[in-house]
Amino acid sequence: MTAYLLVIALVLMLSIAIGLVRVAIGPTPSDRMMAAQLMGTSGIGVVLLLAQVVEVGGLVDVALIFALLAAVAVTAFTRRRANEREAKG
Amino acid sequence: MTTTLLAAFDILLSLTLLALAAAALTSAEPRRAVILFIAFGLVLALVWARLRAPDLALAEAAIGAGLSGALLLAATRRAKAHTKEGASGSPEGQP
Amino acid sequence: MTIAEGLSFGLLGAGAFFFMAGSVGLIRLPDRFTRLHALTKADNVGLGLIVLGLMPLAADVREALKLGLIWILVVIAGATGAHLIAKRALRGDGEDAQ
Repeated sequence: MTAYLLVIALVLMLSIAIGLVRVAIGPTPSDRMMAAQLMGTSGIGVVLLLAQVVEVGGLVDVALIFALLAAVAVTAFTRRRANEREAKG
Repeated sequence: MTTTLLAAFDILLSLTLLALAAAALTSAEPRRAVILFIAFGLVLALVWARLRAPDLALAEAAIGAGLSGALLLAATRRAKAHTKEGASGSPEGQP
Repeated sequence: MTIAEGLSFGLLGAGAFFFMAGSVGLIRLPDRFTRLHALTKADNVGLGLIVLGLMPLAADVREALKLGLIWILVVIAGATGAHLIAKRALRGDGEDAQ
């Protein structure tokens, strides 16, 4: 079972590597952010599988932080510049 | 079997990390560099998790990728707005 | 192999398949909205299947519930993020093509 879990983790790692290609080539910032989101989700999967394999306590909490990070990054990315200008006066 | 798979996993992880670092450093456009930096933080957190250091992975994911990523994104947006509005003045401009 | 192990065997395989399909879609599909479509499938269904597959292997009920909580968080974050990105792309601000 451990070997199978590692194979799945390897597939997810491959998905992160593919996401890296899309982050690098773009072409628009939205594409880059989407690929970063996919990398985050695949990262959660990898951490959860690793937590099952290496049996270190607390790895599941890392996955929890990854989930929150995705939301923060996307929100920071999509904030409008227009609102900011109004707020500045 | 398990060791081979773990080795393959480690190699793929390291290569991804190095590729991300190189891409982020050589990027000309600021926002592209910032998004690559966020992705780099994610993969670095995975490396810490693989090295059995969940505390470091937590700190890297929350501070390294999350907080500084969001701050850097806001900074690039402001820098861009600033250079657009203050085109008459010096491009570096005072805040 | 017990029934629980067989179940997680199949579910994990299906989850990995969804992740692979999502990332191939992210590379191959022609524009941002179709790519967003591929991304959300990988995000929600792929991770959902992985979490469901890991639940039978969890040490106790508390760990299993924690896995479920992570998935719910990802679904909420993923849906919100997809809407925000799509709105931003439709509005067209900040999309300086290079």
